[in-house]
Amino acid sequence: MGRIPMDYLLNRLVTLFLTVWIAATLIWIIPRLSPVDPAEIMLGRMAAGAGTVANADEILATLRARFGLDDPLLVQYVKYIRNVVVFDFGLSTASFPTEVSALIARALPWTLGLMLISITITFFIGNLLGALMVWERSPKLVRVAIPAAMVFTSIPPILSALLLMWVFSAQLRWFPLTGAYGLFVEPGWTWAFAQSVIYHGFLPALSIVVVTFGFWALGMRGLMITVQGEDYTTLAKAKGLRPRYILYKYMIRNAILPQITAFALKIGLLIAGQVLVERIFAYNGMGKLLYDAILDQDFPVIQGVSYVIILMTALSVFIVDLIYPLIDPRIRHGD
Amino acid sequence: MTILDIKNVSIDFPTSGGIVHAVSDFTMSVPQGRRIGFIGESGSGKTTTALAAMRMLASPGFVANGEIHLNSLGQTNVLNLNDEEMRRVRLKKISYIPQGAMNSLNPIMRVEDQIWDGIIAHEGHVEKVELQRRSDAVLESVGLPKTVGQLYPHELSGGMKQRVCIAIGVCLEPDLIVADEPTSALDVITQRQVMQTLRDVQAKIGAGLILIGHDMGLMAQSVDDLAVMKLGHLVEFGTVKQIIENPQHEYTKQLISSVPLVGGESFIESSPEIMRGAPGPLLQFDNVTKRYGSVTALHPLSFSLDGEVPKIISVVGQSGSGKSTMGSLMLGFNPPTEGTVTFRGKDINRMSAGEALDFRKDVQAVFQDPYACFNPFYRVDHALKFPFKKFGLAKSEAHTQSAMEEACVAVGLDPALVLRRYPHQLSGGQRQRLIVARALMLSPKLLIADEPVSMVDASLRATILKNIHDLKDKYGISILYITHDLATAYHVSDYVMVLYHGRVVEAGPPKEVIGDPQHPYTQLLIDSIPWPDLNRDWGSAEQGQKGLEALQGNAAVNQTVFRGEVPGFELRVGA
Repeated sequence: MGRIPMDYLLNRLVTLFLTVWIAATLIWIIPRLSPVDPAEIMLGRMAAGAGTVANADEILATLRARFGLDDPLLVQYVKYIRNVVVFDFGLSTASFPTEVSALIARALPWTLGLMLISITITFFIGNLLGALMVWERSPKLVRVAIPAAMVFTSIPPILSALLLMWVFSAQLRWFPLTGAYGLFVEPGWTWAFAQSVIYHGFLPALSIVVVTFGFWALGMRGLMITVQGEDYTTLAKAKGLRPRYILYKYMIRNAILPQITAFALKIGLLIAGQVLVERIFAYNGMGKLLYDAILDQDFPVIQGVSYVIILMTALSVFIVDLIYPLIDPRIRHGD
Repeated sequence: MTILDIKNVSIDFPTSGGIVHAVSDFTMSVPQGRRIGFIGESGSGKTTTALAAMRMLASPGFVANGEIHLNSLGQTNVLNLNDEEMRRVRLKKISYIPQGAMNSLNPIMRVEDQIWDGIIAHEGHVEKVELQRRSDAVLESVGLPKTVGQLYPHELSGGMKQRVCIAIGVCLEPDLIVADEPTSALDVITQRQVMQTLRDVQAKIGAGLILIGHDMGLMAQSVDDLAVMKLGHLVEFGTVKQIIENPQHEYTKQLISSVPLVGGESFIESSPEIMRGAPGPLLQFDNVTKRYGSVTALHPLSFSLDGEVPKIISVVGQSGSGKSTMGSLMLGFNPPTEGTVTFRGKDINRMSAGEALDFRKDVQAVFQDPYACFNPFYRVDHALKFPFKKFGLAKSEAHTQSAMEEACVAVGLDPALVLRRYPHQLSGGQRQRLIVARALMLSPKLLIADEPVSMVDASLRATILKNIHDLKDKYGISILYITHDLATAYHVSDYVMVLYHGRVVEAGPPKEVIGDPQHPYTQLLIDSIPWPDLNRDWGSAEQGQKGLEALQGNAAVNQTVFRGEVPGFELRVGA
């Protein structure tokens, strides 16, 4: 514990940098292995829109030059890396000529908001329920109800989202069907807008929570069983400590440690996991952006979104590495 | 004055195979300030009885019959208290000092926090200054500096952790302390210090003490009265003097006689004919040194063990003395920092794949924990069959089967009873014997046995050591016996090396080294053994501490005392 040593920080930073660099390189290589020519796709789209295109070869050549596809690979790579550093992923081919970074900047806050809220709720609910499944003083009802609720975990997110929509939006009409905020609300830092956002975000968040809390609950259950058998839990009881105090300070506090690492790793994965949920609720976040980009073969957007996902995962792992010694005294920086 | 009355208590465990009567009709009173030992083998009900008084029985166990009265609560039966009332009894009236001191402290809380939370749970809000004063005082009373309070459990040694547990157990000055094998994980020197500490603080606060254990020697040196338990029954109760000097029950006699003593009668029968191996050096250390970072685990050491006449070489010492490091160097799990380890003239860390395979077959190991050595998903015969087939020794299924049966018989097990069982269905002693049988099936030349009997019951230790000794006589296998138990080393070995801080400080035949130690460290080790003999005083904790301190400041301690040689084993210490 205590201050973070400089060499440890440097070490972690270098790891962070290398991870992101290698990932960025892979993102660049993979589309180039594909036989699809982005310039042809654009031309195809123009042709589909206008019926015919005159000077097709000329336009193709211009597009290639414009996108830098004629340059030697190494030049393309160096340019790419230089641009990626400043989050410049070029122009979207599907929403030409919008900048990819602008698309991401528009979508990211929505996803971050929805995702961070829903995975934080899931993390707390899941772990707490998992812990209560093991705690000997939990009410019987809790011990029966939680495993029953786990059924939802086995439902794919698309189905659970549709189910929730059908019940709460179509039948009960409690929540809106689509969108991230109301049609007649002006976006801005107003209470009305915030209300609308929460109102619209509730169902997508709930559908994510419902299908993912089981992951945490089951993991926590296993960890809690181990902790329950530990000698320190027995001694805590023999010390006459209050049962709730034992649950929090002796059991959950120890069992949660591996879950925190898993939490950091999940952050990046969740954008990907959120794709269909956002699509179904027509929620304009990163997931929907990625979904549309894949359908449109919009490579720059796919690259940009993937890069952001990787960056977020790497950053969250970096942060956990730094704070871990604060939550587990057995781990020390630099050891 | 009586502080605890246990009347006609029976404890049952409902299982799928019917009700198990763990304790039957147990009656006993604990007078104030008196120390009572509960002795018996695993499964005898000694821990279960003590835990029943704290209402801490493991599920699904329950008290089927009887009453438990705690004098300071008036005539209330402890068994009738509600959960909250019971919670207030724990630690305040009856405190518990657990067996596994290694894991008994919460790893993410500082030591003082774990003393404070106990105080707060029983006294409500207490000023920080007062808490600090009390934790400092109680740590000092168990011989720990108060700075220990600021540390986390992983920063403490095993002996220190056990003292912290004692500090927690006495901080509220309870009527009764239940100590469940508090020293079984500690080496003899630390054991003596911890046990003396426990006795001192217990006497100071005037509490009663129930000491649960299986070591007759430790009991003789620690308690006033002794309760002998077998299969849930109290078979004998009396003063420790009466029980040890004049045991009445057959089982008590057996428990006392099964304790191996230095200089006592040998439990080993040597065969008239000893099978011989191939001549020539079997295992050699050539200037082997092992360092972990700046810590030297093993100082330069050379030896050569000849394979013609099989021998048992014992390596003894405290935990941290480097004996297990030596074992892992011999097995090639860990390369030496300097020097070479050779088996039959080949460097074991530079073998080709084929040679390495032969080496693995020829050098087998038996480890301490018989519970962790089996894959719980397979029947035990799988563990026996697998290496036998893997090393190409099996000619047919029938051959494998007969080899397994033969090996089981060699270690005194009935193959029909054990082979088709799952590990959890067997006792620790049975499992450890199966590990020996497994090693035997591969006809090894060398067996590394690292604390093979320290986790099995006392009465079985002798049997398993006899099995191991037989491997030497009947199968011509040389054995390296790594242990902290000097009495067994005295009986089974041909040669003994005493390790202290990675150095061999005394070496020679056991009759000399252990029977008449010359090096101050060996002397300290021998003095620390608790004897089941009331006329032999264990000495005080201060003596032990002084002995250790004298060793630390003395450069001459690093000089090896050679006490004689045995043919076929040459030892050289230093580069």
